[in-house]
Amino acid sequence: MPLPARANANANGPTRTSINVAALWWLSDTAGAILFAACLAAFVGRWTAGALSAQAGWLLAGIAVSGLLRATVQGQAAITGQRTAGCSKAMLRTQLLAALLPTGQVRSRLIGEDLRVAIDDVEAHEGLIARFQPLRLAAVLSPLIIAMAVACASWFSALILLATLIPFGAGMALAGLAGKAEADRQFLALSRLSGLFVDRAASLPIILAFGAEDRITRQIGGAAREVAERTMQVLRVAFVSSAMLEFFAALSVALVAVYCGFSLLGLLPFPAPEALDLEHAFFALALAPEFYLGMRRLAAAYHDKQQGEAAACSIAEALAQGRAALPEPLGAPAAVIRMLSVTALTITYPDGNRVGPIDAHWEGPGLHAVIGPTGSGKSSLLNAMLGLAPGVSGTVRFNGNEEPPGTLLAMTGWAGQRPILLPGTLADNLLMGGASAAQPALLRLLDSCGLSGLVARRGLDLAIDPRGSRLSGGERRRIGLVRAIVSDRPILLLDEPTADLDARTARLVIDVLEQVAQTRLVIAATHDPALAARCRSRTELS
Amino acid sequence: MIRQLLTQAARSEHRATRIAIVLSMLAAFASVALLALSGWFLTGAAIAGAGGFASAQAFNYLLPSAGIRGLAIVRTLSRYGERIFGHRAALFALADVRPALFARLAGTEANLALARSGGEMAARLGSDVDALEDSVVRKVTLPGAIVAVLAGLAAASLAGWAAALALLAGLGAMRLASWVLSRRLLTVPSRQYAEALNALKADYAEYAAGATEIAAYGLVPQITAALAPKIMALDAARLGIVRAETLVQGTQLVLAGISVAAVLALAAGGAPLVALAALAGAAAAESWSTLARTDMESLRTEDAIRRLESIAALPSRARAVSSAGSTSALSITNEDRSLSLQPGGRLLIAGPSGSGKSRLLGTLIGLRSDAPEVIAVDGRDVRVLGLDALRQQFAHAPQDASLIAGTVADNLRLARPGVTDEQMWSALDVVCLSETVRALPDGLNQWLGGDGARLSGGQRKRLALARALLAERPWLVLDEPSEGLDSATESELCRRLSQWLDATGTGLVLVSHREGLRSLGDQILTLISPED
Repeated sequence: MPLPARANANANGPTRTSINVAALWWLSDTAGAILFAACLAAFVGRWTAGALSAQAGWLLAGIAVSGLLRATVQGQAAITGQRTAGCSKAMLRTQLLAALLPTGQVRSRLIGEDLRVAIDDVEAHEGLIARFQPLRLAAVLSPLIIAMAVACASWFSALILLATLIPFGAGMALAGLAGKAEADRQFLALSRLSGLFVDRAASLPIILAFGAEDRITRQIGGAAREVAERTMQVLRVAFVSSAMLEFFAALSVALVAVYCGFSLLGLLPFPAPEALDLEHAFFALALAPEFYLGMRRLAAAYHDKQQGEAAACSIAEALAQGRAALPEPLGAPAAVIRMLSVTALTITYPDGNRVGPIDAHWEGPGLHAVIGPTGSGKSSLLNAMLGLAPGVSGTVRFNGNEEPPGTLLAMTGWAGQRPILLPGTLADNLLMGGASAAQPALLRLLDSCGLSGLVARRGLDLAIDPRGSRLSGGERRRIGLVRAIVSDRPILLLDEPTADLDARTARLVIDVLEQVAQTRLVIAATHDPALAARCRSRTELS
Repeated sequence: MIRQLLTQAARSEHRATRIAIVLSMLAAFASVALLALSGWFLTGAAIAGAGGFASAQAFNYLLPSAGIRGLAIVRTLSRYGERIFGHRAALFALADVRPALFARLAGTEANLALARSGGEMAARLGSDVDALEDSVVRKVTLPGAIVAVLAGLAAASLAGWAAALALLAGLGAMRLASWVLSRRLLTVPSRQYAEALNALKADYAEYAAGATEIAAYGLVPQITAALAPKIMALDAARLGIVRAETLVQGTQLVLAGISVAAVLALAAGGAPLVALAALAGAAAAESWSTLARTDMESLRTEDAIRRLESIAALPSRARAVSSAGSTSALSITNEDRSLSLQPGGRLLIAGPSGSGKSRLLGTLIGLRSDAPEVIAVDGRDVRVLGLDALRQQFAHAPQDASLIAGTVADNLRLARPGVTDEQMWSALDVVCLSETVRALPDGLNQWLGGDGARLSGGQRKRLALARALLAERPWLVLDEPSEGLDSATESELCRRLSQWLDATGTGLVLVSHREGLRSLGDQILTLISPED
């Protein structure tokens, strides 16, 4: 299994390449800057020399075109970055769906928490790939390209620009370290305080019940000001970096202007290193602001980096947890189950709540019931036998052998409280469990479950709405049941198979279950006394 | 309403805002002037230099070169100050908006406030208020951009009125294009993006509920395929937003280029002034184009403001006419029977899940009003008395514990103002939790949940019970307080609670289906499921 942290923190091959392509587009932006500077310098230079008239139109057109060039190139850079991020997001989503969807119960996470990682965090991750990474590459190379272009006109100006990089780099490194230390120092307090708003809004009922709203409002006010105060402390340090950037950007313009000016005047306090004319000097001056532009763009994308890295962390964590929780497919499935038993099966939730220990023994083939009040752990027991519950201890045996929970997974047809429906035909949805049943047999089974009304009009080609909005709860439940039966697996685990059904339909379903149970082991968690009465055994949970 | 709140909040930070605006104007001026002066100086120097040594000596180079260095420093410092003061103003102004919104929410009728999910409210107070931060910070950029334009126009006018007019026209076109294009191009993809995101979340939640089927049948590939069109729609909408943004920004660049070319084409006068006009125009256009970002963000800000308005506009709760007496009798009447409790009486409410026990408790304490029973305190209907009067009577320990994020003491202090440590410990004693709390690393000051200590479900419930005891109300209202407890602890809890009730003369309304607590009730009200 690949390390999840690597899977998303560092982009893989194709993504890496397209990040480079986006960076290349950002670098090409310097071409527009160079065109602008060259045309402007030639215009001013020739105006001064009185030799303008012939080329004026061309030079002005060049200036106008440089805007168009920059617009196109920057647009391409943004779009390429976005497409790259799109690929990277698709890959992450695929990984997250595979790791999170089947394991929600094992990790005992709320669906909302998983949803935030699988969707919101993936979206938040985008800026890192789409903007920050290409800009970082461009920020390193674009000053060099600008310096080379400047060097064509005035190598000494280029040298001045490059020389400012040394104190700039040192200053940035120091400011960056200080900023990080300050951010780390405030991190826990800030995250607790920001969590406070969320929590107090969610705790409104209990706050109202105790009449504590005035006190809590004051507390939120105090906390909000503290967040502002602490955020300012972090920003004050962080802005030093950007001030440094500003300073060196302004300084490089000033130094080039002053050097070129004195050089043109012939008043340099040292021997002139090169012969300059106005056109070349002006070119160097007009390009000087571009020298730090790449880094200023990078600084502006800092928020993308922060947000993206936080998201990447939570994605990596969720992937690791999800993958660790996936039940491992083991052993060859048995064709017939003669016995299945659990001994001291206990499920411990992270909040300390416990279900069990449960002891039960079922003989197959046959129909068995698990009964008990709501919350006694009927569904948890069925899930735990498949290895789909948190903190499972105890043993599961079948056909006399002790097996880890999870072995049963490939042998079990499952019908839960709210079966999954996927877009497609009714037949697609019924045969999702793997096996293919002949159409007449399938129709007979649907009929005996009281679903003939559903197939009367469009047959098995009936289009299923993914949200199932056109199916009643009872119809949906029976689709799940038929799916489990036609999956041809030797064990059927059913969660409340007769709930949501009227008495007549429930009787039909019980008849079907009794018939299926002649060849397979069927265990149903149920509140329905009619179903329990027809079962071979009843396991009662309390 | 929300705009009023924002204006009020902004007023408290007007000093920082004003400083930020002044600094932003200074920075913008320095940026334009730096380039303009550099261009003028360079060209002037070239002409003077070409005229020989004498004319070079005559050229006043000291002032401009000092000016260039000075402007570079002014630009840096004022930009730093602008950032600091601008963010200070925004952060502190919004720090006042959050509690104001919360107060509005807590001060409206309980059923209105609680009609929204906690998660939704949290999102409003969190990310929607955050979305305003950007707009408040950006307020400072407008005066800066205007100063940059004025400086640019002044510089261009030195090269003749025609050049200045050309720059003005170009900058006007930039503004118009940004405003029109961002609305035209961004509205649709932004809406599509929001819709696609919601659709994807709804589908995800739907599929995630079938985790067992997914694992048993290996349905991940099918679900990935089923979600693919939704994901493609989401990514396409996001790409649409990026395309639209690049078009808006690209138009700014094109117009800026044309403006500079036009300034040069129409410029008159000496070469130094032409150079000054061109570079000033380019710098002004660059400053001016940052306003495009504000236009593009405005859609997002307006959405956030619209959502926040729904909280800010909530009506205030009607104040209680008069509160009920200090200790009051209680009566509950449903279809089958009517029972009344004297002060200090004890009632056990039983019934299967779904029979409306929690609904009855919620109505009793005034958080909702949809229970079918007729409930009266001192003969007056609870729906008339209202939340403010009822919460003087009842201390509630809800089924889900409802602890707040904070320390053990934070949770206990919620009960009423002025709870002492000593009172906390004795309440924890009654609920058999003092040993557990003593064993926590920080005792009463231990942070709970999230990044702090974790209590088990049963411990959390008993902490909520201790909080209810500390409220010192005439009635204690408990919903399944012993769920998740072993029977030894449960019977000890039952014994101590009974003693405490006797000692304080507090009445009890208890919902429980556990045998261990049945002995606490003097009277029993059994609710039945509607379908039975």
